[in-house]
Amino acid sequence: MLQSYFKIAIRNLLRNKVYTAINITGLAIGVAACMLIFLYVKDELSYESNFSKADRIVRVAGNIVFDGHKDAFAVTAPPMLSAVREFANVAHATQLANTDKQTIWHKGQVFTEENLLFADSAFFSVFDYELLAGPPATALDAPRKIVLTEKLAQKYFGSVEAAMGQTLKLSRDSYVITGVYRDKGHSHIAASGLLSLATIEPNLPEGAQDQWFNLNRYTYALLTSNNQLAAFQDQLNVLAANKVNPWIKSNKINAVASFIAQPLKDIHFDTRFEHDLTPQGNISYVYIFGAVAVFLLLIASINYMNLATARSAKRAKEVGLRKVVGADRGQIICQFLGESVLLTFIAMMLALALVQIFIPSFNLLTDKQFSSDFFLNREFMAALLAIVLLIGVVAGSYPAFFLSSFKPADVLKSDKQPRSGSATMRKALVILQFSISLIMIIGTIVVFTQMRFLKNADLGFAKEQIMVVDIPVGDTTLINRLSVINQKLLQNPSISNVSNSYSIPGQPLSRALILAEQNGKMEEKTIDVMFVDYDFIPVMGIEMAAGRNYNRNMHTDLNGGVIINEAAARWLGWKDPIGKKVVLSTSALGDSQAKVLGVVKDFNVSSLHAEVQPVLLQLTPQSAGYLLARISPENQPATIQFVEEQWSQFDPKHPMEYFFMDEFFDRQYRAEEKMLTVFGYFSGLTILIACLGLFGLAAFTAEQRTKEIGIRKVLGSSTGSIVLLLSKDFALLVLVAVVLASPIAWYGMSHWLQDYAYRINLSWWIFALAALLALLIAMATVSFQALKAAMLDPVKAIRAQ
Amino acid sequence: MSKEELVIDTQNLQKKYVTDTVETTALAGVDLKIKRGEFVAIMGPSGCGKSTLLNILGMLDSPSSGSFLFLGQEVASMSERQRAKLRKHNLGFVFQSFNLIDELTVEENIALPLAYLGFSKSETEKRTLQAMERMGIAHRRNHFPQQLSGGQQQRAAIARAVVAEPALILADEPTGNLDSVHGREVMQLLSELNEAGTTVVMVTHSPTDAEYAHRVVNLFDGQIVTENLNIKRHAAELL
Ligand SMILES: Nc1ncnc2c1ncn2[C@@H]1O[C@H](COP(=O)(O)OP(=O)(O)O)[C@@H](O)[C@H]1O
Ligand SMILES: [Mg+2]
Repeated sequence: MLQSYFKIAIRNLLRNKVYTAINITGLAIGVAACMLIFLYVKDELSYESNFSKADRIVRVAGNIVFDGHKDAFAVTAPPMLSAVREFANVAHATQLANTDKQTIWHKGQVFTEENLLFADSAFFSVFDYELLAGPPATALDAPRKIVLTEKLAQKYFGSVEAAMGQTLKLSRDSYVITGVYRDKGHSHIAASGLLSLATIEPNLPEGAQDQWFNLNRYTYALLTSNNQLAAFQDQLNVLAANKVNPWIKSNKINAVASFIAQPLKDIHFDTRFEHDLTPQGNISYVYIFGAVAVFLLLIASINYMNLATARSAKRAKEVGLRKVVGADRGQIICQFLGESVLLTFIAMMLALALVQIFIPSFNLLTDKQFSSDFFLNREFMAALLAIVLLIGVVAGSYPAFFLSSFKPADVLKSDKQPRSGSATMRKALVILQFSISLIMIIGTIVVFTQMRFLKNADLGFAKEQIMVVDIPVGDTTLINRLSVINQKLLQNPSISNVSNSYSIPGQPLSRALILAEQNGKMEEKTIDVMFVDYDFIPVMGIEMAAGRNYNRNMHTDLNGGVIINEAAARWLGWKDPIGKKVVLSTSALGDSQAKVLGVVKDFNVSSLHAEVQPVLLQLTPQSAGYLLARISPENQPATIQFVEEQWSQFDPKHPMEYFFMDEFFDRQYRAEEKMLTVFGYFSGLTILIACLGLFGLAAFTAEQRTKEIGIRKVLGSSTGSIVLLLSKDFALLVLVAVVLASPIAWYGMSHWLQDYAYRINLSWWIFALAALLALLIAMATVSFQALKAAMLDPVKAIRAQ
Repeated sequence: MSKEELVIDTQNLQKKYVTDTVETTALAGVDLKIKRGEFVAIMGPSGCGKSTLLNILGMLDSPSSGSFLFLGQEVASMSERQRAKLRKHNLGFVFQSFNLIDELTVEENIALPLAYLGFSKSETEKRTLQAMERMGIAHRRNHFPQQLSGGQQQRAAIARAVVAEPALILADEPTGNLDSVHGREVMQLLSELNEAGTTVVMVTHSPTDAEYAHRVVNLFDGQIVTENLNIKRHAAELL
């Protein structure tokens, strides 16, 4: 029996090559896209799962509430480690700390490593990385020890064995290589090497062991079992109440701290906390792409349903006969379901090939490293077969139920044309397909327009033509000599101005506790602070709203003056801010009082997701992080080369690293932009698959109406009017889809835009453009078939029936 | 005559077709009894309800009202599934337009009923071969229907109808699409089957074909108007 089904299925597929090709191509593209999405989603959802004890690992994060303003941090203070170690249900605890970008001098060459972390000796007890060499317990137990990843060991020494015991010279210290481990990937801890935390421990200020606001350590605990999370949280609450908050009070700080136990596996999508080790994933993308995958499969399945029912007249006789010789309806249903599963299976094989071809580009698009042998994975295979079965059954069920309902007495009559399935149903399904495609097209246009808006928006500073040179950290002699290079650079007519600022826009800011004048009294406030120099405001092209910029010749400006933005003035309720008193508790001279010198117009310090926040620009010319040079747009390569030459004389020790302000600032939208590209491709695919179906349906309609077309032509109809006749029904379907899709897309996209404080309006042209696009593509598809039918010799057409 | 001997026993069988606007009465109260081993021909003008009656007798369609006992069982109240079961165990069909499945070879077409009956592979092969040999088309077993002449197609169709050795064969104008030579061939085959014990009910327009039957039922406007015993045939049997 199965054999006969199988034979019939194969022979049918071969006999109707166009329909088979449409169905298999559509399904293959759909399944291939789904596989890629599956890889992406699975990857996103499986962060940290490579650690065998991931379920038992928690991180301690903190909330600090200063005068009603809550800040949430992924970092904690050093004393958190010993506190957590005393908790009853903690097996091991460890701390990590960030490092600056490190310069490495090795065999006469200079390298930079961005992803090194400090870790203490308990690190490998919590995170079970495989050590290829070295003892896990003692590899990080003393100052100036380094454990490299296998990759780094190979990069510098060629092999794991050769690296062991060697010395590596970093920015500040030389480190002995005491171990090599294999990175597991897939973790928010994306270190390329680990430096012993003991190296920086002596640098802690006096009394730091009770300094609870020294937020620079990531604290992890391995619990004794995975049901201890609540108990751990309870102990954190006790710690906050009994130790940390009393300490805050005793220091007369007006703040309340609390701690949160964050399960390791939650970290990847938990965007609540600032200063995390690596950027978070976005769970919305997981949902969106999951939905896209379902849509793609749905659209491809609809093609199958529509073409199968449209052609059902051709299968009717077979159904009738099978019933006559004894098949019951269930058996017929099984047969047709089997056929669709078979077709899906063929499509799946093709899809696997497609995925092989497209995996490299997909990796590039998503910043992931999927290998092309992923499908050897048993779990993946099972998922794939399940999907094939599911699509086969979903796509096959409607035709199967429809076809199996034929009565033999009806369909075996030679004089009667059997039904071709409900045309209304087919129309409804085409509308559904195009609605989905339209929603995705509208979405793509909206995201694209918003991205362009973000890049071209007036930020309140001129982000173009600012070259930014990274000043190597920790080299104080270099910073003290900066005026030398500044002077050299300004001699070039292409460089109009130079600043040595610590902060630049597009970077996370520091928060500081200040005292601000409120109705004659000084009140505690917290505010974002940028550390700048005398030239920052003119170089950035930020405009003054009131008062003046810092002036080198006014000695009281240093420590005695501050500049704020308009948002800060509004927030502090200052009608006339100039001259208002502020106390900066971090100023070098202790709690010295400063006066507001000037107010700058609001500018976007961070991405346009957020409104402009109150900011204080503090003058700290002694701590420079970047050299900003405003250069003229003409002949930039020469200018860049000039800067490089000057830099190599000024600082021969470090390679010069530079970037442009606009690119740096726009990097904040990189994730969105990548997702836009991926989404754009997938919308393209949905419309492609929908059009494949339309192509098949148009062919079917043209075939059905061959005789009518012939008669019309004999009666004098022009080719044009016949194309119109055949196309207008489909155009109508697309228009109905526009009406259905627009409000849904409008709703979804206004929701998405809520994420941006500065955003475009959803104007009518976006919807009109999407409608026009869909209509054009659909008409191009349909008119090909219509034209073919209209050009047919009328005599032949009439005879054909 | 005892009830068990009746293969078919209908009483006041009616069939109405209702379309959007018109109601057609295809059968207006048919009482028909057919005994095991009989060969009955149904005749009548086009549109008088012959096919409708045959389809109901073959359980491909259900009557609007009336009673239909098949081998003593009431069919009218059966579910589709039950009827499908009854059908595959007891009935064979032959149509005017042959109705072979185009995508299957002759052999595969003939084997189909056995597949639905769940026969083993070897048993299926044996029986299929027997049926093909009996109908003289074994040499065409691997051909597709379109590659055969009309007569060959009809013989294949008859082979398919008898392969499961049904008690009753229903044939709707089996010679309608055939020339007289092939038509006679088909009638001879049906007649042989009947002589071997199979009950045959056949719709026909051809008086020549009707001569093979024991009994001719004349239908007009959905009703039986006359029933004639075929003297020649009975006489032949008596000899
Ligand atoms: N499916 C149907 N729907 C409506 N009317 C039908 C249908 N099938 C048959 N009829 C009508 O029923 C009557 C009997 O048809 P049929 O049994 O096919 O006649 P015959 O086989 O004797 O030529 C005819 O008038 C025909 O038009
Ligand atoms: Mg008829």
